[in-house]
Amino acid sequence: MSYRVKLNVFEGPFDLLVYLIEHARMSIYDIKISEITTQYIDYVKQMEEADVVLSSEFMVLAAELLEIKSKMLLPRTVIDEAGDEIYEDPRTELVAKLAEYKKFKAISAMLEERSEDAAAALEKPQEDLAEFTGEPDEYLSLDIDQFRAAFELFIQRKKRLEELREHHIRTEKQRITTELRMAGIRDYFRSEGLRETDFRRLVPNAKDKYDISVTFSSVLEMMKERTLDAEQKKLFGEIKVKAMDKLFEDNTVKEN
Amino acid sequence: MAGNKTIKSAIESMMFVWGEPLSVKAVADIFNVDKKEIYDCFKELQTEYEQEGRGIVIREVNKSFQYVTRKENLDYIERLCTPVRRKRLSQSALETLAIVAYKQPVTKGEIEAIRGIRCDRVMEGLMKKELVAEVGRADSVGRPILYGTTDEFLKQFGFETLKDLPAIEDIEGALAGDDEDAASIDGVLGQLSLEDIG
Repeated sequence: MSYRVKLNVFEGPFDLLVYLIEHARMSIYDIKISEITTQYIDYVKQMEEADVVLSSEFMVLAAELLEIKSKMLLPRTVIDEAGDEIYEDPRTELVAKLAEYKKFKAISAMLEERSEDAAAALEKPQEDLAEFTGEPDEYLSLDIDQFRAAFELFIQRKKRLEELREHHIRTEKQRITTELRMAGIRDYFRSEGLRETDFRRLVPNAKDKYDISVTFSSVLEMMKERTLDAEQKKLFGEIKVKAMDKLFEDNTVKEN
Repeated sequence: MAGNKTIKSAIESMMFVWGEPLSVKAVADIFNVDKKEIYDCFKELQTEYEQEGRGIVIREVNKSFQYVTRKENLDYIERLCTPVRRKRLSQSALETLAIVAYKQPVTKGEIEAIRGIRCDRVMEGLMKKELVAEVGRADSVGRPILYGTTDEFLKQFGFETLKDLPAIEDIEGALAGDDEDAASIDGVLGQLSLEDIG
């Protein structure tokens, strides 16, 4: 897993190679190709095992390293046109590339420092200069019909939103009240220690039709829960509300 | 013909209103005088603000000038309000930008050859941030797009012109202290050629 984290640090195959070389305390001008190639390929393999998708460029450099490694085994002198023996280092090209890369890595460090320093000076963004340029604002060029249509659309949306909001609040209010009333009825029976009462006694404000109906639906709901029972002797007569055993024992009744 | 004093005074007012870097050319057109004269006025103002230690200083960005706050005062500004910090560039973005800055005009191919990895996404990001831009096309096969840095780059990295970019040798010299194999690039290169001969 630690390798996965490290990957983010390496910006490319050269970045990885430079890291390995420096880590092994080698000079980029005297790379122990065999050792570094092994490390490089090990690393790439580990990345693959960790399911990290490496870009193909990493493979290209691996191949290049192997090529250099094999060339190092061959005689390294060639005869030039004049017949002199010339020592040819197969690493030369790679070294030049790495040196070039390191150069720009150093420059990027310098740039980073510069940008931090330069960011300390703050500028004011250009303000809206329309006032100075004397150009009429955009909306004034709008056709009057377009403007009317846009305004009507706005009014309509506002209306719809208001309707929606009204409805939304009403339903929410109702729901809360029923729950509260049910809790209130439970408390009433428990605190009074009563088993039976008149329905009217459960309605605090008998003049409010809404209040009555909420209480009534709460009683029905509680009958469904089997915490209450009700009895009505004759049509439009008094309703007797009885508390069932369940109302007293069931302390963990949920509020909703 | 407006005098030097009038021009400088006008420049101050114009910079205040404009906010963005105000180009020497725009001011020269207004006064109908030589650009060199206007440039000198800007430079004189810049020196005056600098010498008097004003809290507002004048920043040059590629032959344009704008008011910015004095860096030393950042701490106080931050106590007053918190200016939005620019997000730092990623390492790969910085490397790519470094190559564009020092090799411009440069093609993507050349950048990739140095970094050893593709740079399309990074370049896209840099163009979005307006740090690099297309500057033309190379004459080589396929006429690849050439890229260069922008004025925004100069601004964000505190350079007045591209000539301000430090010489590469100076940068590496600065690194020599803490990097053993960069201790003396010249020396090692010398060794390498000696080995070559041997």
